[in-house]
Amino acid sequence: MSHENPLLPRPATIQKIIPETGDVKTFRLTLDDAEAMAAWHHEPGQLGMLSVFGVGEAMFSISSSPTKREYIEFSIKRMGKVTRALHELEAGCQVGLRGPYGNHFPYEKFKGKDLLFVGGGIGLAPLRSLIDFVLAEENRGDYGRVEILYGARSYDDLCFKDDVLDGWVRQPGTVVYTTIDQAEERWTGHVGFVPAYLKEVAPTPENKYALICGPPVMIKFVMQALQKLGFREEQIYSTLELRMKCGIGKCGRCNIGSKFVCLEGPVFNMVEIGQLPPEF
Amino acid sequence: MERDRLAAFLDQIATRYHLVAPVAEDGVVDYRRVDDARRVVLDELSTVPPKTHFFPQTEELYSYSTVTGLEIKETVGTPAAVLFGVRPCDLKGFLALDPVFAGRFRDPYYWSKRERTIIIGLSCTTVQSTCFCQAFDGSPVNGEGADVLFTPLEAVYLVEILTSKGEQLAAEFSTFLGTEGVEEALRGKEALARELDGRFIRQVDLEGVKEKADRMFDHPYWRRLARRCLGCGICTFLCPTCHCFDVVDENRGDRTGLRVRCWDSCMFTDFTLHTSGHNPRPSKTERLRNRILHKLKYHLDRYGLHGCVGCGRCVAKCPVNIDLTKVIAEIREVD
Repeated sequence: MSHENPLLPRPATIQKIIPETGDVKTFRLTLDDAEAMAAWHHEPGQLGMLSVFGVGEAMFSISSSPTKREYIEFSIKRMGKVTRALHELEAGCQVGLRGPYGNHFPYEKFKGKDLLFVGGGIGLAPLRSLIDFVLAEENRGDYGRVEILYGARSYDDLCFKDDVLDGWVRQPGTVVYTTIDQAEERWTGHVGFVPAYLKEVAPTPENKYALICGPPVMIKFVMQALQKLGFREEQIYSTLELRMKCGIGKCGRCNIGSKFVCLEGPVFNMVEIGQLPPEF
Repeated sequence: MERDRLAAFLDQIATRYHLVAPVAEDGVVDYRRVDDARRVVLDELSTVPPKTHFFPQTEELYSYSTVTGLEIKETVGTPAAVLFGVRPCDLKGFLALDPVFAGRFRDPYYWSKRERTIIIGLSCTTVQSTCFCQAFDGSPVNGEGADVLFTPLEAVYLVEILTSKGEQLAAEFSTFLGTEGVEEALRGKEALARELDGRFIRQVDLEGVKEKADRMFDHPYWRRLARRCLGCGICTFLCPTCHCFDVVDENRGDRTGLRVRCWDSCMFTDFTLHTSGHNPRPSKTERLRNRILHKLKYHLDRYGLHGCVGCGRCVAKCPVNIDLTKVIAEIREVD
């Protein structure tokens, strides 16, 4: 049954570990089976289930763009049992990988539009897969201006500093606004919370989609701020993340009402979010 | 089939198949592998539903070893089985679970057993005080979901062959089956159905309940109802349609181990608890509401099937008498 067993992880090897912050690392993986690696395809916004054998499994957003075909990246904050175990691993170690799971950002629909990304803390991880997808040479012409507004608690907590402070900033047609919650001596940029900064920057809603990910409370206030700026619900997407054990719609814990986030999510339009019971 | 030949029939089956039937142990009746038909208990609804055969409480998914590189070995080997004595409500429970384990990601553990099992249903001859299968279009003599249905009558079992798997079994054990008196037995079954139909103590009316459930998510009723809930989870563990599970590692301590799944319950605090401390269903109110709405709304929304089969186990076993039939009536009544 192995080819059809969706619960069976595939062995993967950590090729590289990139420290992002004091408690976030990006794990660059390849599937051990070369054929499986060549056949691997995920869409921006999808999820992967990682296993540390003897410890357990946990679900994470895939943070690399599908255009990077040689590897699969996960950016993971050290939080609980599995993430602690992952953080203790080194390059060359093996893990298990299942997936990809879930729906994805509807990037076909975004073609010809400007995109506004709003991220908080580790919430930039799922957005990064789409940002890098849109900014990839083969896709860049399909999309308009890209604005990225990103905030973290402190300078140390900013993830993907190479992208946020350098790589993305240099891209044509791309603006990056970065903020940290409290002033620090070494930080000359903006200080303040993401929703407040968003109001200051005041991006226009015309011909644009907004994509949000961050802590639940940030998502809530960013949605309110965007609506005040004139964004309609149809223009706003967010990813919802709930606890998951199977990723395939069986284990029952990621339901919001009749929906399973692992199948119908994690990406939801704000109109859909409004129709869900407020239980996420 | 003459009633006194049942034991011999089952013993014969047990020589060729894994025979799984209800047996009693420490006051609990559940479905287990049996070699001796005399152990089979058929006088009441089992304590634990027979979903355990397809979806065991604890099930090994695969073994792993990281001694010399990562090795993952699938747990395989599903014996051909005959599952005997499944009541009509529990048959419907299988039909409710099927679409959960099917779909885009087909669950091979569930389906390998489902496909290699022949199900013999058993009509009820009594109605227990907690039974309400009628409310969900069930009946004590409904064989839907079985391959063969046995209906106990005075001197014989009426044996109805319902599927090709059932035909296969009937052909294999044809010496136990006769064709005389079938007409009479069919009339006997009809009479039994009529008699039992009038014996239901619980009259449950589902009229308008789904529509009400659709718009009462925020109703204060849930808080009132949850006040006495202990969150023990017995209702979910004994439910023929509950399918929630956890996935855990059983580490042997020598870099080898098993990954297993085991039943979990939406009634438990940490079921939805995020590592961050955020919990989408933080109190018993949200958790009990989730269970009730799963039974009356979510399963119906998702699969077009009732999430309850009216077996009454949750009603019988709830330590604080939270009674789904009363909850249904109350949902109809509240503003």
